[in-house]
Amino acid sequence: MEDVETLREKYLNLDYDEKTFEVDQDKIIAYAKACGEIAPRFTDPTHADFQAPPTFPSSLMAGRHLPEDFPRFGGIGMDAGKAVEPMLPIRPGVQLKGRTHLHDIYTKTGRSGRMIFLVSRMELYDPEGKHVANADTSTVIRERSSE
Amino acid sequence: MTVSTIQDVEFGEELPAFKPDTSLENVRIFVAAAGWGAARFTDHEAARKEGLPGALVPGIMSQGFLAAMIHQWASDARIVKIDTVFRAPVMVDQPHYITGIVTDINAEDSYVEIDLTVSNEAGETRVFGTATVNLA
Repeated sequence: MEDVETLREKYLNLDYDEKTFEVDQDKIIAYAKACGEIAPRFTDPTHADFQAPPTFPSSLMAGRHLPEDFPRFGGIGMDAGKAVEPMLPIRPGVQLKGRTHLHDIYTKTGRSGRMIFLVSRMELYDPEGKHVANADTSTVIRERSSE
Repeated sequence: MTVSTIQDVEFGEELPAFKPDTSLENVRIFVAAAGWGAARFTDHEAARKEGLPGALVPGIMSQGFLAAMIHQWASDARIVKIDTVFRAPVMVDQPHYITGIVTDINAEDSYVEIDLTVSNEAGETRVFGTATVNLA
């Protein structure tokens, strides 16, 4: 059984992935409309404040889910949730850089055993280095007993 | 009622009901836009072969539904943070309903907290979340 405090000390807040993303106008419009957005700043490219919908960063996937040497727990990881903190509008045509690190590691113990929660955070930056959003992905792994 | 400023918001206010489009056609449009083309989202039969009851609405699409509901309530609202927990699958081609309720108002800084849920026809919560919204 892995010691969570040791994992936190070793892995938290260290970037393990860097990836660039192109923001395509047509795709962000389709994304917004499919979600039911009707505000023109998300659906009309002629709008003066046209931008990607605020949850768009959740769709950007890092090249790696976890650090290369991160231990496996024997169970299957499940997507437990997403969080987004938009800071600046994301405009079409811009190239974003996403840097990903483990933001939190914690456990919960239920009747079926220990569950490990891993929160990876992608910090997104525009070409000028401005921090435009954070996108968190929570993965839960039900730990398999080693016995 | 259209909400434009923090003065328009009442504590405990329920956002107008929102029924998202969970049709297979719409989910296919979404996953193409998002670059999430896995068959479990776009094909019921392929999803069943993976042991699922049918095709799933991606969690990020449910999150998008929640944000859209906020903008349908207050079109100029700026979402400062939205946190969603995927409790159970949202199934494609099945009706779902989204509810939202104002749980806190910070009138001084113009922030509102909203609790949000995606439920199925049986009334079971599939996704829940909270959003912090700025209404300037």
